Amino acid sequence: MFPKPPSDNPMSLHESMSHSPDDVETVVGPSVVVEGDFASEGNILVKGTVSGNVKTARLLTVEVGAKIMANVKAGDAVIAGEVRGNVKVEQQLELLASARVLGDIQCQVLVVAGGALLQGKVGMKGLENVEANDRRRLNRGKIRSEDDTSETTEMTA
Amino acid sequence: MYVYLYDNFLREKRFATVLKLVETRLTDYGIAGKIVRLQNFTSSEGLIAEEVRRGAKTIVVVGNDSTFAKVLSRGAAYPVLYAFIPIGPDNSIAEVLGIPVGEAAADTLARRRKIKLDVGWFNNRFFVSQLHIPPHPIAIEYDERFRVSSKSGRMELVVCNLQPFRWRGPKKEYIVHPQDGKLEAFLRPVIRTGWLRREQFEDPSIFPFEEMVVSSPKPFIVEADGKVSKETKITIKLARSRIDMIVGKERKF
Repeated sequence: MFPKPPSDNPMSLHESMSHSPDDVETVVGPSVVVEGDFASEGNILVKGTVSGNVKTARLLTVEVGAKIMANVKAGDAVIAGEVRGNVKVEQQLELLASARVLGDIQCQVLVVAGGALLQGKVGMKGLENVEANDRRRLNRGKIRSEDDTSETTEMTA
Repeated sequence: MYVYLYDNFLREKRFATVLKLVETRLTDYGIAGKIVRLQNFTSSEGLIAEEVRRGAKTIVVVGNDSTFAKVLSRGAAYPVLYAFIPIGPDNSIAEVLGIPVGEAAADTLARRRKIKLDVGWFNNRFFVSQLHIPPHPIAIEYDERFRVSSKSGRMELVVCNLQPFRWRGPKKEYIVHPQDGKLEAFLRPVIRTGWLRREQFEDPSIFPFEEMVVSSPKPFIVEADGKVSKETKITIKLARSRIDMIVGKERKF
């Protein structure tokens, strides 16, 4: 009638599995609190609270209800929870409808779902080259216009 | 010289046939050796030390997961080659090592495919299969970088080394294979849910690590390779390439 208390029911380590299992590297559970700088070489799945910088070269997933209270650095990121800090992503950053980000964002590809809240600056890597090209074009234009004006002054003289 | 350490349970009549087959196969390969039967109160550490002193080059553990863990957790301190012949039920470590159960294990032993195994270490003791701390208000510090605690207070901790951890969640299934250069810690906080406030395990948190400190103001139970002790603070580390072991081709790492 009553289930066994947890102490009598240790983790079942060898449950039979019918289909292919999923490899997960690091998981922060819903009621788990992590304090301090948290780094991993593999995928990170955050369901709880992390009070410190989070760093991974691969995918970071922040689930609904999860909180990260510092800067984030990742290869790719999918955010459905709350991040209070700057987010720097090498490739794609996806903000789902329930996402709340209070900080600056830097990424290559940004996907924002309707309803996501974002407060901060957004910087994208592709734009740096465009700005540099624009500056070059402007500079060239200035030089040309200066040359043109000097030529016209010579002609008039 | 080969020394075979037989577990006490192999005295049972139902294992006589398979043991006979194994011994015949070993004799065929010319790798039969001295047989030592482990008793309930035999110190495997002293036994291995004595056999190594007498010139043993390969120690072969014959039995199940419990035998393997019992011998290797003590024998990891001695630089000798280890092998395993799994017999009977409860042989999940053999599967990880790619060693077939029964007489076919003699073929693996004869091939002598050697690798170095990482083992877990805590408070001056080695553990080869897993370390288990039942639900208790513990705090954990990983690699001197971050601390992990639970909002609900009590957590269960399992650190897996050679035994794979499999867990089926509501949506996903998890599997972690051992021997990837790190130990894996599985934390399951105990939460109270429902109208009756029944205690249930939450989804596990998984952290790969190289060093971890588990502490609590109250003493907690630690079960490592079947040996139980009470501690207030333990440091768990990974001892890299500690054991020379003969493994099979179909190993999981």
